[in-house]
Amino acid sequence: MSNTIILTSSDNVEIPVDREVAERSILIKNMLEDVGDAAANEPIPIPNVNEAVLKKVIEWCVHHKGDPPAAADDETESRKRTTEIDEWDQKFMQVDQEMLFEIILAANYLDIKALLDVGCKTVANMIKGKSPEEIRKTFNITNDFTPEEEEQIRRENEWAEE
Amino acid sequence: MTNISNIPVGPMPGPSTGFSNSQPQFAAAAPSSSSSSSSYPSTSMQVSFRLDEGYSEETRSQTGSEFAVGGDMKAGVMAGQAPAPSVPLPAWVLALNEVDRTELAYAVVRSLHTSSIAAIVQRLDPLLHLDPVTYLPPELTSEIFSYLDPSTLLKASTASRAWRARTMDSSLWRQLYGSEGWGVDVPQIRNFEREYLYPNGPPGRETRTRPADADVDQQAHKRVRVRPRNPPTAPVEGGLFGRGPRSPLQTSYGDDRVDDGPQGWNDQHGTIEVDEQISPEAGSSSTDARMTEDSQDGDFALSAHTSQSSQTPTPTAMDAMLSHTSSNAMDEDMYPSPLLSAQEVATTTHNYAADLLTAPSLLIHPAFGAPRVNWHYLYKQRRRLEDNWDAGRYTNFQLPHPDHPHEAHRECVYTIQYSGNFLVSGSRDRTVRIWDLESRRLLRKPLAGHTGSVLCLQFDERGDQDIIISGSSDTDVILWRFSTGEMIRKIERAHRESVLNLRFDDRYLITCSKDKTIKVWSRRELLPGDTDYPRITGAGSAVFPSYIISPVTHPYLYTNGQLNKKVKPLPPYSLLMTLHGHNAAVNAIQVYDDQIVSASGDRLIKVWDIRTGECLKTLPGHRKGIACLQFDGRRIVSGSSDNTVRIFDRSSGVEVACLEAHGNLVRTVQAGFGDLPGDEDDLQAEARAIDQSFFAARAAGSVPDAAETGRLRRRNAGSRNPRDILGYGAKLPPGGGGTRWSRIVSGSYDETVIVWRRDAEGKWVVGSRLRQEDAVLAAGGSRRAIPQDRFTVPQHEMAQQLTLLHHDAHAQHHHPPNPSVQHTPGSFPHIAHAQAAATATALAAQGFHSVATSMQANWPQITNGNQNSNPPSNPATGPGGVSVTAAAQSSAQHAQQGIGANAGPAQHGGTITTAAAHPPPVQNQTPHLHPPPFPNLPQGHLPANHPLNHHHHHHHHLHPAAVDAPNGASQSNSRVFKLQFDARRIICCSQDPRIIGWDFANGDESVIEASRFFTGP
Repeated sequence: MSNTIILTSSDNVEIPVDREVAERSILIKNMLEDVGDAAANEPIPIPNVNEAVLKKVIEWCVHHKGDPPAAADDETESRKRTTEIDEWDQKFMQVDQEMLFEIILAANYLDIKALLDVGCKTVANMIKGKSPEEIRKTFNITNDFTPEEEEQIRRENEWAEE
Repeated sequence: MTNISNIPVGPMPGPSTGFSNSQPQFAAAAPSSSSSSSSYPSTSMQVSFRLDEGYSEETRSQTGSEFAVGGDMKAGVMAGQAPAPSVPLPAWVLALNEVDRTELAYAVVRSLHTSSIAAIVQRLDPLLHLDPVTYLPPELTSEIFSYLDPSTLLKASTASRAWRARTMDSSLWRQLYGSEGWGVDVPQIRNFEREYLYPNGPPGRETRTRPADADVDQQAHKRVRVRPRNPPTAPVEGGLFGRGPRSPLQTSYGDDRVDDGPQGWNDQHGTIEVDEQISPEAGSSSTDARMTEDSQDGDFALSAHTSQSSQTPTPTAMDAMLSHTSSNAMDEDMYPSPLLSAQEVATTTHNYAADLLTAPSLLIHPAFGAPRVNWHYLYKQRRRLEDNWDAGRYTNFQLPHPDHPHEAHRECVYTIQYSGNFLVSGSRDRTVRIWDLESRRLLRKPLAGHTGSVLCLQFDERGDQDIIISGSSDTDVILWRFSTGEMIRKIERAHRESVLNLRFDDRYLITCSKDKTIKVWSRRELLPGDTDYPRITGAGSAVFPSYIISPVTHPYLYTNGQLNKKVKPLPPYSLLMTLHGHNAAVNAIQVYDDQIVSASGDRLIKVWDIRTGECLKTLPGHRKGIACLQFDGRRIVSGSSDNTVRIFDRSSGVEVACLEAHGNLVRTVQAGFGDLPGDEDDLQAEARAIDQSFFAARAAGSVPDAAETGRLRRRNAGSRNPRDILGYGAKLPPGGGGTRWSRIVSGSYDETVIVWRRDAEGKWVVGSRLRQEDAVLAAGGSRRAIPQDRFTVPQHEMAQQLTLLHHDAHAQHHHPPNPSVQHTPGSFPHIAHAQAAATATALAAQGFHSVATSMQANWPQITNGNQNSNPPSNPATGPGGVSVTAAAQSSAQHAQQGIGANAGPAQHGGTITTAAAHPPPVQNQTPHLHPPPFPNLPQGHLPANHPLNHHHHHHHHLHPAAVDAPNGASQSNSRVFKLQFDARRIICCSQDPRIIGWDFANGDESVIEASRFFTGP
């Protein structure tokens, strides 16, 4: 059984990757299990992820190769959700917003939960502590409320103020 | 509801849509939404282009290596403010590859003046900022938003309409609701949704009920069992609040993804709100019609929506949804996850689109399927309700309704329990009464059958149970049919003395008595070998009736280990065992799973195994007898004649908090910690960290040394400051863990009810102090109009019904003891009393988890020490009863007063131990006859509406009135006997025959509407 497999990006670039690394993706892992070892030498198309993003995702998988598998522990999930991100991941996520969102989409598609979490936390941290105007600026959002509507929402939201 | 969506908010994106910008989905379908040509960029265009350009994989994969170009175009389109360059690029430029084009662009830019470069940078800047709400599908923004707290979420909701729609998503708020530790009544929600949908019974169409079930199921298994009557929480797969071990956000990844475009994306991601518009064949007509209807009909009448549901937008979209639903059905059950129910995201968002600006309402009406409760609404109302608790805003009510005073109990009420719309009370007038909480009227005529005061009861109104069980000072236990009030059965002479408390679950009935024993009774037929059948181990002190068999005790009934066929099952309500071990009346019991926890006048709490009868643990800590307790599986909360409420960690036995503010015996207590699922490890880790900071502080010399600590006898209401730590090794942090909404409510003989809450540091503080008597007046009652002596409970009765008082009476009477006290069966020989006092005092000193004790030992040893110093195993204790008020001080008082024939040595011993072990705190040296009403209450904690002079006023009748004053002389007799609280109300009974409630919904209709779904913290 081969230890290296080939992934083909949406832009038809073939990227060799350690099988162990690629199997951080549950999608790929299941696919490999389904096709069996015989077919595992064939390139695997990843039709939704382009080369740039796929390489970035693989970089992450390489770094996190040794991580213990995510505990299938829903209790952990339901607890208070922290947005702490470890240092390497923080650096890794210092990319332009398009790349950031594409990583999130790819992680979702490839079913790499830990990467998806890091991506979502990164975006969440970009929202935290900001005023509505700052949020709009951060994400280039057009304020489509009239001042009256804005005031109405502000009043409606008052109940949550400490 | 105002029709906000018709307010013009700006120029229309297109000439003919007839829709304002506030309806992005439909504007998206409008013919003119070509953003690059539009001079009025709007959200709607962004939405449409996200779908057409921004996410279509088809487009992207065809552009191949020109990824960046695609990205730029997309970004430019979405940004709106930075349209693509108006100058068309020459073909040769487009033919260049990415690197070359980059170089060319750079060269061109470099050739410009700085001011021009700055202008370009400014124009390009928006391209670097993308809106995740338009870029990412809803289930992913939902994932992002799930990391935000409510106030951030609400801030984000004002960014734009699209953001508002996404942040108001019901499933997000469901998760937030859960993470606060708030409880919810799942069956109630489900019934409500069903009844709303099918007022005339369910039709055949059931396809879409599943997500709704998954929705509430998440809340189902959870909740500390505050009331043991709740059915045992079955362990269910999936998180309590959480998103299960959600692996894929969508389930149908696969090859289908490869070969199709937007529609494939639909299949994969479930339907999201705007998808239906993007597929060209999704004619806007039907959706338009639906939306128009919504816009015009602010009322959201059910009929309108049901008809809409059948009026599906397009076969394609509908098929996509249905197939999504069915393929996901199993996953939704197994992994109830907001992410999985993309359908839900879609539908709720859809609803909010029309309802964006107004306050949330209780029901949301998805475009497809049944209306559902809106978690945003529930969260909001719960929060407002909690704010009412914190601010002490409430209305009062009483049972019976003031217009029907004749329905009241004729004497004081010792016990109540309520559930749903029913409250059942037991009184000194020997009756049990069933009340309707809605009308506040008696539901049927009083249940008569006891020949003494009804001291305790529990009921379960549910159809399969339909039972009330009551215990009395007549030593009998009576089973009543709840629905009819008829007596089903009487267990005569259940105990040798008053039955002080009882609890039952599906398996067992447990009773405890002034006769110092606890008895376990079966509730079902039992055969040896059944799970619930007692197991005789020989290890405990439990006494089993001769008919309880085991291969050891009755080998001849077994052949080859198999039970003979001759053995008949035990009938229901057979006595299974009697637990001995307490040295005084057992005042309160609780059952949780397979453990019984008992509290006694001997100052001890014991934990027992319900099958073997073995005593698993003994917890000292209280300095006088214990009147009440609650056990939630982790912590034991108890109220005592030492005027304190204490919290013990069940697993280590460590006292994690001591709450002092009552001025008299704490007779009744209930606690709600709002545990989050799976937080045991967190709590333990927190406890460890606090232990470590304690050790560090001690090493640094900043913690008082042992002797000093021992002398001060400090208490800790939950502080984490190393200087305040009393013990360590607990699995719970100081205060007992739980959320910031944790609540303890205690009722006392000081005639007040205290609502305890956490302060910012997690310490328990007095939130509100409610005066029983004030509540009576506020509820529309009057100060006792009926002659006082009618309701003033003679001292001997008090003593009889709660043995705790027995010695209070002794200690406090200056004149010769009331003869009736001496008539009380089981009156303690004074010699035993003094001895016991001494022993218990010494014991308290040893076992107390003081820093002094713990200095030379590590924590497990300390725990063992406690178990070993268990008085029943101490022969020195002697056979007599241990006084509840066994403070050495009162024994000393006894001696001085010359009451009783105390033997010299015992008396002596008591005094010496007192002096040596723990000199009483200063305030306790006040003669027992005049204790300050609120000895340790810091000024800062006094509720604003209860100025000091107010307290002083009550001081006068606080205790002599209740104890020594001749009948009728007191102005007030409002000792609180029993209380219960839920998310919304506290209801308590007292010496006053009227049952009093505080309703923290405070008359707010929205809170009231939502409250029916709330369960306690």
